[in-house]
Amino acid sequence: MSIIGKNIPHDSAIGHVTGESVFIDDMPFAKNELIVDFVGSPYAHGELISVDTSEAEKIEGIIGLYTYKDLDGINKFGPIIQDEHLLVEHTATFMGEPIVVIAGETRQAIAKAKKAIKIVMKELEPVFTIDEAIKREQYIGVPRFIIRGDVQSVFKTSEHILEGTFINGGQEQFYLESQASIAYPGEDNTLVIHSSTQHPSEIVQVAASILGLQQNQVICITKRMGGGFGGKESQACHFAVMAGLVALKTKRPARAVLNKDTDMMVTGKRHPFQNNYKVAFDKNGMITALKVDLFSNGGAAADLSTSILERAMLHSDSAYYLPNVEINGRVCKTNLPPNTAFRGFGGPQGTLNTENIIEEIAHYLKKDAYEIRRINCYGVNDRNITPYGQIIHNNVLPEIFDELIYSSDYTERLEAVKEFNSVSKTHLKGISLSPVKFGISFTTKFLNQGSALVNIYLDGTVQVSTGGTEMGQGLNTKIRQIVADEFSIDYETVRIMATSTEKNNNTSPTAASSGTDINGSAAVVACQAIRDRLSEFAAQYFSSFENGITKAKEHIVFKDNYIFDNRLPDNKIAFKDFVVLAYRERVSLGERGFYQTPGVDFNRDTGKGNPFLYFTNGAAVSEVLIDKFTGELKVLRSDILIDIGESINVGIDRGQVIGGFIQGMGWVTGEELKYNEKGYLLSHSPTTYKIPNITDVPDIFNVNFFKNDTNIVNVKKSKAVGEPPLLLGISVWTAVKHALSCVSSGKRINLSVPATNEEIIMAIDQFEEIPIKIKVLEY
Amino acid sequence: MSKSRDYILLYINGKKTKIKDDLAFKSLSDFLRYEKQMVGTKIVCSEGDCGSCTVVHGKLENDKLNYKIVNSCIKYMYQLDGTHIITVEGLKLNGCLNPIQESMVKNHGAQCGFCTPGFVVAMTAMFEDKNKLTQKDLKDGLNGNLCRCTGYESIIKSGMDVDASKLTYFDQMYEPQQIIDDLKEIKQIPIFIETSEKKFFSPVDLKSACEFKALNQGLTIISGGTDIGVQINKGMRDPNTIMSTSAIDSLKEISVKDEYLVIGARVTLSQIEAFASELYPAFYDILKWFGSPQIRNSGTLVGNIANGSPIADTTPFLFVMNAQVELSGINGVRQVNINDFYKGYKSLDLNNDEIISKISIPLLKDNQKLKLYKVSKRKDMDISTLTAAFLMDENQGKIESIKIAFGGVGPTVIRLKKTEEFLNGKYLTEENILQAGQIARDEITPISDVRGSKDFRLKLSENIMKKFYFECLEEEQVICQ
Ligand SMILES: Cc1cc2nc3c(=O)[nH]c(=O)nc-3n(C[C@H](O)[C@H](O)[C@H](O)COP(=O)(O)OP(=O)(O)OC[C@H]3O[C@@H](n4cnc5c(N)ncnc54)[C@H](O)[C@@H]3O)c2cc1C
Ligand code: FES
Ligand code: FES
Repeated sequence: MSIIGKNIPHDSAIGHVTGESVFIDDMPFAKNELIVDFVGSPYAHGELISVDTSEAEKIEGIIGLYTYKDLDGINKFGPIIQDEHLLVEHTATFMGEPIVVIAGETRQAIAKAKKAIKIVMKELEPVFTIDEAIKREQYIGVPRFIIRGDVQSVFKTSEHILEGTFINGGQEQFYLESQASIAYPGEDNTLVIHSSTQHPSEIVQVAASILGLQQNQVICITKRMGGGFGGKESQACHFAVMAGLVALKTKRPARAVLNKDTDMMVTGKRHPFQNNYKVAFDKNGMITALKVDLFSNGGAAADLSTSILERAMLHSDSAYYLPNVEINGRVCKTNLPPNTAFRGFGGPQGTLNTENIIEEIAHYLKKDAYEIRRINCYGVNDRNITPYGQIIHNNVLPEIFDELIYSSDYTERLEAVKEFNSVSKTHLKGISLSPVKFGISFTTKFLNQGSALVNIYLDGTVQVSTGGTEMGQGLNTKIRQIVADEFSIDYETVRIMATSTEKNNNTSPTAASSGTDINGSAAVVACQAIRDRLSEFAAQYFSSFENGITKAKEHIVFKDNYIFDNRLPDNKIAFKDFVVLAYRERVSLGERGFYQTPGVDFNRDTGKGNPFLYFTNGAAVSEVLIDKFTGELKVLRSDILIDIGESINVGIDRGQVIGGFIQGMGWVTGEELKYNEKGYLLSHSPTTYKIPNITDVPDIFNVNFFKNDTNIVNVKKSKAVGEPPLLLGISVWTAVKHALSCVSSGKRINLSVPATNEEIIMAIDQFEEIPIKIKVLEY
Repeated sequence: MSKSRDYILLYINGKKTKIKDDLAFKSLSDFLRYEKQMVGTKIVCSEGDCGSCTVVHGKLENDKLNYKIVNSCIKYMYQLDGTHIITVEGLKLNGCLNPIQESMVKNHGAQCGFCTPGFVVAMTAMFEDKNKLTQKDLKDGLNGNLCRCTGYESIIKSGMDVDASKLTYFDQMYEPQQIIDDLKEIKQIPIFIETSEKKFFSPVDLKSACEFKALNQGLTIISGGTDIGVQINKGMRDPNTIMSTSAIDSLKEISVKDEYLVIGARVTLSQIEAFASELYPAFYDILKWFGSPQIRNSGTLVGNIANGSPIADTTPFLFVMNAQVELSGINGVRQVNINDFYKGYKSLDLNNDEIISKISIPLLKDNQKLKLYKVSKRKDMDISTLTAAFLMDENQGKIESIKIAFGGVGPTVIRLKKTEEFLNGKYLTEENILQAGQIARDEITPISDVRGSKDFRLKLSENIMKKFYFECLEEEQVICQ
């Protein structure tokens, strides 16, 4: 029996439940180890006049204080555009931007040093909002567009047109383990950096470049992360390099572990967007033309913003065929910490904007929003080409819609909701379906490559290391399953090793949901190469003149821990014994596999191409209850149906789906980033930044997988599952909007994301009719 | 001070541990992680809000160890005298997974694993009282633990799927008698620890406490430490002299006496729950939304009012009930009506030698209707944007008298005197309530902050009046039917 598709526990589950799994800050302190911290800019925008560390130097236990002048390499980096400084040189562009790195023996010494460092700055005028950035034409990158047909001519003739602006807020990744790295110095100016990162190779590249080393002098190792969600794709780097700097300068191990408050204040988040739209449709709600102008708030540096914007644009079709469409996009430059990857990578923002438009159309036409969704949904044989020209093959969205509407009793419940709203004086209900069509692959072509190293040892056990990193998503478990399956050996015989740039070089980040796809495929390539050599040897070994068995590789079978020639299956040898024989015959028992995703390409200058290998699809129906007086929101029930192909591990995939949904729900409801007028993040810890709690999980929660065995383009016919389910959470927001639409007496509803209790109450306030005129007060 | 000792005695996972000097001033989580290399206990927020650092706290009560979960990040070692702490490292059974751990493994209760030890500890402690948990139990019991990966569903499933036949109580895992004997022996001896920078005193009687307070101006009294622990961790406070009230037995009483519920200063919010559910159901509901199980197991009612925050959840209730605050000083006790206790933002009517010893809350009368509201961004485990309390004497639809208190609308919790005046003697109608809402709006002075804008709070104050009205109406209808 194959191990693929089995529900086996997470690779580290036992370590997790016993507390024995080791995270960065759990590694024992070396005797001479230093703690690394930094002092950042007190202004969101300011000119650095002077830095005086002389008092701090005198503090006992302070071993080093470093400014940009101490960097031996180039103080400039960035994953796409190199516009970021590790340490401020002349101008600070966001609050908390690091200026001085401190190395100390104790936290107390560091706390004193922070107070003793004198930084003089001239405050410059900051820009925080998209409006302000647009006014000043402060952008990152060039304008982007995806265009098909001619929206303008449709707008001229269309009977029904809606225009508006839609705003979504950012979202903190809120991985529980804050950014963490330890750097160990070695001989010859080498460094081994242990980092909680999704992108070890980037740390190697950036550390080498900033610290003036060669890339072959730096190794980055990632055992696991206590959550990443995109926040450790490009932004683990800064702190890893700071640790590296200290280790290199002092020749002592150096540990940089942020506390939650600092982490939240200085690292980037999901991008806020502010979008203008204009949509034309017929009386049935069929969209004839859509124009959207997406503006994202990129923060102070490019980071991954241009790619994120691109994905937002590529997902502005949501699940709908748009015959005439114009999608424009710009990244605004502001004085917030550079915004960065977060599960979905712009996809949620693009989709959400369009889902809001659908709700608007429904409200305007006084129709059920689902009807609008269904008639606009991509077709199977026609109406199946995306705005960027990619054909959607095996489109299962219509089927998913129909099946979910049925299984969730949508129609009856919609009636019940309307009935409830017509009588309740205290509460409101809403129900809504929202879809997911998430494109899988990096839209940057070169990132679509993976590598894996597979080594077999002489007791038949196997080690595998890939370029992918484990952040809880279960990548390692799946890789183990894939390798065990390739050799048909027990899952327990395969061990997955910490990710290390020494084993796999120039790796891509574990991102874009592609972890299993590219690294699992690379592992398959490696296994197959070894299997091929073993088969070659086995063919020779099992061939026998007497039995009439000629040497034939194609007859060699790996099955249930044994190897045999299928013409003489009784003459089988255990895998573990056979590898010893092979070794003695000098057959190589190790291989590095390399994989490149076939056929993906996208031209961002023309906005055309096939950026995606396939799509992960799904939909969710959510029903909400709102307290009209306090705005308190409760999700009563959610039903999810998602197509993730043939799951490699259903338990893990279910966890991804539910975790993603709840995270998406948090983004659109309670998670609110609040800054003061100086750009200081007020909601910088869980006391003030509220991610979903266990009590927010819908009491009724049905999660099902849609059967789909057509995805032959991907490893084991599976589909990527990391990011797509986050978009399912949008159904909660559209349900809120639906609830409000039931009582708005036809007025348009101004509701942004997140729909906090305040946002909801203020929205109700806008269309509330005061039932009784207030008379002259009697006091 | 006569006889005292200079150490803290506690047990950790069944091992006797004596703490002295500087170590006494460390947080429990730092002590575990950095002194003992027991790194299963994780730190995320250091402010009691995420539960990753959850440990079990066994306290001697009536000659038994009573095990409850607490947040180790905001517990300081000096608070732990006479306790048995069990960490995630102490949960295995003979080197094997306990049934809770097994279920978490099987049901994918862990993804990245960073929150997991906290959940496992909290869930294991839940099985001290029950051997089968429902979805509701788990939501009530685990809302002090955050997880960003799983979406919680698999954790709930794990909790419901625990093999009850394999459950083992803490008293079975850790033979209690020796621990109890040891802890009892030292219980009556006050503690005094002094380092070059800090002083800690734990008296066993009220009088010494008052005397010590009088002698040490600016001293910090620590009760459950859920406010103080956060303030220390976040650099808002660095107390040099600390006095714990935890060894003063007379402060631990809770009982009904002469038409009052009397609550001692050391009674935790969890301990109040049972009384509240019988005496003031509305207050019980508010307690359920107060912090988390971990916070309620440590935090006290007296700490809540002494902290003086205008968004303290219990205060509006105490205001409308005219609760009496008992202050004990060197020269005896005095009673202050809570309505007169606050002099301004976080400023109390409390003399140098005084500590709060008790709160007495009048019992509800038959014709009184009590309604309490807490509005916050997230329902569970969130600090309030606005709080409100209504106590109404009603007679056939007529408001004989009403008391209304709001929190989060000014520097202290306030009584809405004008609104009350307006409503007194009127009928409870929508029209009257809408007018009252307008008056209420004018009586308050909210500000904008991270938990809500001024406009939102103004709107809420009107809305809460309406909510009160409609809820009363609905109850009437139910009674009529
Ligand atoms: C995660 C978290 C969630 C929370 N949620 C809520 C919530 O939902 N609602 C809410 O209202 N609060 C909340 N709090 C705040 C806090 O838990 C409460 O205020 C609690 O009641 C404080 O009690 P304590 O015993 O822990 O007080 P401590 O922290 O020990 O003390 C608080 C203050 O009271 C003083 N004090 C204590 N005892 C005495 C005494 N006998 N005489 C005089 N002064 C004394 C102390 O010196 C200190 O200034 C939360 C806190 C945290 C960390
Ligand atoms: S670390 Fe978050 S509650 Fe203790
Ligand atoms: S498993 Fe990652 S935070 Fe809970």
